[in-house]
Amino acid sequence: MARRTYQDIILALEQYWADYGCALMTPYHTEVAAGTMNPATLLRSLGPKPWQTGYLEPVIRPLDGRYGENPMRFQHYFQYQVLLKPTPDNVLELYLDSLRAMGLETEKHDIRFVEDDWEQPTVGAWGLGWEVWADGMEITQFTYFQQVAGMELDLIPAEITYGLDRLAMVIQEKPTVFDLEWAPGITWGDVFKENERQWSHYNFEDADVDMLMRHFEDYEREARHLIERDLPLPAYDMILKANHAFNLLDARGAISVTERAAYIGRVRNLVREVGKLYLEQQQEAGEHAAAAV
Amino acid sequence: MSMPRLLFEIGCEELPAAACMEAGLQLPELAREHLGAQTLELFIGPRRLAFPVDVPERTADEWIKGPPENLREKAAAGFAKKHGVTVDDLTLRDGSLGIEVAGRPIAEVLPERLAAIVKGLQFGKSMDWGAGFRFARPVRWLCAKLEDQTIEVALEHVPSGGFSYGHRQTHPGPVEIPNAYGYLDALRAVGVEPDRAVRYQQICEGLDALGSWGDPLDKLDEVVYLVERPRVQEGSFDERFLRLPERVIVQTMQSHQRYFPLGANRFAFVANGGDPAVVRAGNEFVLRGRLEDAEFTFERDVAVGIEELAKRLESITYLKGAGSFADKAQRLVDTVRKLGGDEQAVEAARLAKADQASELVREFSELEGHIGATYAKLAGQPEEVTRAIDEQYLPDSAGAPIPATVAGRILAAADKLDHLVTAFDLGHAPTGSRDPYALRRAAIGLNRLALEGDVAVQRDQLGAAQDFVEDRLEGLLDVPVEFVRAARTSTVPDLGGVARLAQSLHAAEHTPEFEAVHTAYERAHRLAGKAEAEAAPRLDDTLLEEGAERELAQALQGAQIDGLGAAAQLAPHVNRYFDEVLVMADDDKLRANRLRLLLDVRDALGRLGDFSLIPR
Repeated sequence: MARRTYQDIILALEQYWADYGCALMTPYHTEVAAGTMNPATLLRSLGPKPWQTGYLEPVIRPLDGRYGENPMRFQHYFQYQVLLKPTPDNVLELYLDSLRAMGLETEKHDIRFVEDDWEQPTVGAWGLGWEVWADGMEITQFTYFQQVAGMELDLIPAEITYGLDRLAMVIQEKPTVFDLEWAPGITWGDVFKENERQWSHYNFEDADVDMLMRHFEDYEREARHLIERDLPLPAYDMILKANHAFNLLDARGAISVTERAAYIGRVRNLVREVGKLYLEQQQEAGEHAAAAV
Repeated sequence: MSMPRLLFEIGCEELPAAACMEAGLQLPELAREHLGAQTLELFIGPRRLAFPVDVPERTADEWIKGPPENLREKAAAGFAKKHGVTVDDLTLRDGSLGIEVAGRPIAEVLPERLAAIVKGLQFGKSMDWGAGFRFARPVRWLCAKLEDQTIEVALEHVPSGGFSYGHRQTHPGPVEIPNAYGYLDALRAVGVEPDRAVRYQQICEGLDALGSWGDPLDKLDEVVYLVERPRVQEGSFDERFLRLPERVIVQTMQSHQRYFPLGANRFAFVANGGDPAVVRAGNEFVLRGRLEDAEFTFERDVAVGIEELAKRLESITYLKGAGSFADKAQRLVDTVRKLGGDEQAVEAARLAKADQASELVREFSELEGHIGATYAKLAGQPEEVTRAIDEQYLPDSAGAPIPATVAGRILAAADKLDHLVTAFDLGHAPTGSRDPYALRRAAIGLNRLALEGDVAVQRDQLGAAQDFVEDRLEGLLDVPVEFVRAARTSTVPDLGGVARLAQSLHAAEHTPEFEAVHTAYERAHRLAGKAEAEAAPRLDDTLLEEGAERELAQALQGAQIDGLGAAAQLAPHVNRYFDEVLVMADDDKLRANRLRLLLDVRDALGRLGDFSLIPR
């Protein structure tokens, strides 16, 4: 078959995981620094309800921008995120099959599972797993969550985070991300290179520090208010917005090393409270459902 | 009777190398405990932990002890019932009732015992995946063969049978293990080398075939557990990257990619499968990407230049409460001067921390110092300066060398001295095993620089950290702690001098000089030390009546106590004094003066340390 475009690769993954039985979600509507932060992964990992999902996530990491000058570093790039809860026994075979479904000829490549213990202190989460290599290139982060929002988990989910840009480079055999074919006749660079340049300027030089400081405080306060009102879902969105403000401040160099830990601690505490509340509501809903039967 | 052979394999998702090593250490003991037998070999790899073992055909007969015989009426019935026998079946041994339990065929107990081995493995990091027990990574199958019989291991959630699985890419399906002897052959036929030692040898041979190879970060022991079928391949990168600091290239290859440098722009890597040409191209591509990333950062730093980087230190906090890195650099300049550094050492101190403002150190924090040295060199600094900058963090571990250059030693000592004094002033002294500022390492390094590197670190420069730093000498020096403690009480002003004094006292322990000085000190100290309150504030020559007194006072006045030899010359005068002079005279003034003379003797000898701390 003809070489797959970037969008073909995305479509193949969507189809593969839909066929498996995942509920396909969409990218989240506010900035997240990782597919993990999407509530479809973070909150749904909690509690005793099985949940299987797959979705594309554009991740926004202001600090990683390089003005479109570095072929491997971007402040905006794509992950495909899969969460399987509980973990099926053949999860690694499923994953390898998904690579083949994307057009990666696994028998030609050296596919390896290299120990990588994952930790995201901002959301109080950690897990054990691997970075998956194809010929030495990290193409996927695979994690068995052990804790999320600071809490133990009823069912252990497997999180598969595909680094789509790198996978596409292997599949399309392109030397840089800019050269990737997004759609027939259109490259990744055509679509996003200027975007990288402008956003890097904004992130590093022009973002209004005072405004972002206020935003952080405002969203944090709003999150607290919503937690008090027993509304964990909108509260979680406020946390994401506060966190994005923090990431921008970080890129602006406005946060010292010591302050950094304090900001992360503030976000983590909020995520923990939201997680706890979310879980309580899940349990109550479960009890109501059981009573109705 | 020959014992039946058992082969047991625990099939896993890819285990970390550290977990493989942990399992390799524990399996022999677990086999002894649960199977009563020695493992014959161990086959340890990323996807399987396996071993053959010769087991007894039956478990040993057992006698289960029950109630004492005199409780036969009361307790025997219950005991018998619990074990499914009648009271008449109970036998008597050493005054107690009990039951004989005949041994069972080993096949009957293996399901439980093999499960106990799996559950008995303990890992530094283990995980839950929903199977009801923890392991380093999920266990996905178990294979147990007793001769040609398949044993079903009694472990819930894990399938067990007479099958293993081949190489993930080439033979992903199940492979039958025909019997306990056919394991290696069966797996080698499906692309797996289960024996770590064989894989190790294959890798070494492959590397040797490519020429001389390096492994400065010790990756080989890890790589052997990352592959089931090693294939050593060569790769290369564009020579333009050789402009990067060599250690940046090595770090990129080894720490991130586990490659082995072959010198110049060549490297070796160990693949586990795939088409060799595709795999080589891919690995070269990845390395190029990483080197480009480093190059991009490097060129940006170089464009900024080390002088400008040094200026940017003003905005980087060193330790909260201790100013910026620019303040730290200024303190280093002052300290290097105090330690006797020349102008080049001072220049190195001025630029020592500049790389903390560089982007490359943010990516390669292990290479701080080295990166600064590279930038200083590019700015035209002489080698004496750049080498000192490069060596400033040495020694960074117990076995590490100290800097090779004098300027490097002085700068390294200044850095550690400043770190210790600053941290102690801020109240960051280590508590228990918590030492977040790595002050122990700094203190040991400082002692080594003073002792091995001849840096004249004055003890009064150590401030609040003095005791902590000198405490480290006790573990560092190969002499009994009493000698170190004695030397610490001496008046020797510098750290290296204290260490050398402790060593020389210990070396002289069995000489007549040491004996004489020790005795003289002890006698003076025992008598006069207790009566210190009665002693005169200073010696009055006019009160010296006896010849022995005058002789001792005279000897003391002319003495230069700079070593055991000089001290030992005082000893005969002290002895004569004790023999001929009544110290505790009835006359208050005489007594006070004689005590004062003894105290002066003790303090003079005590310049070499408090000898009373050294037991005889």
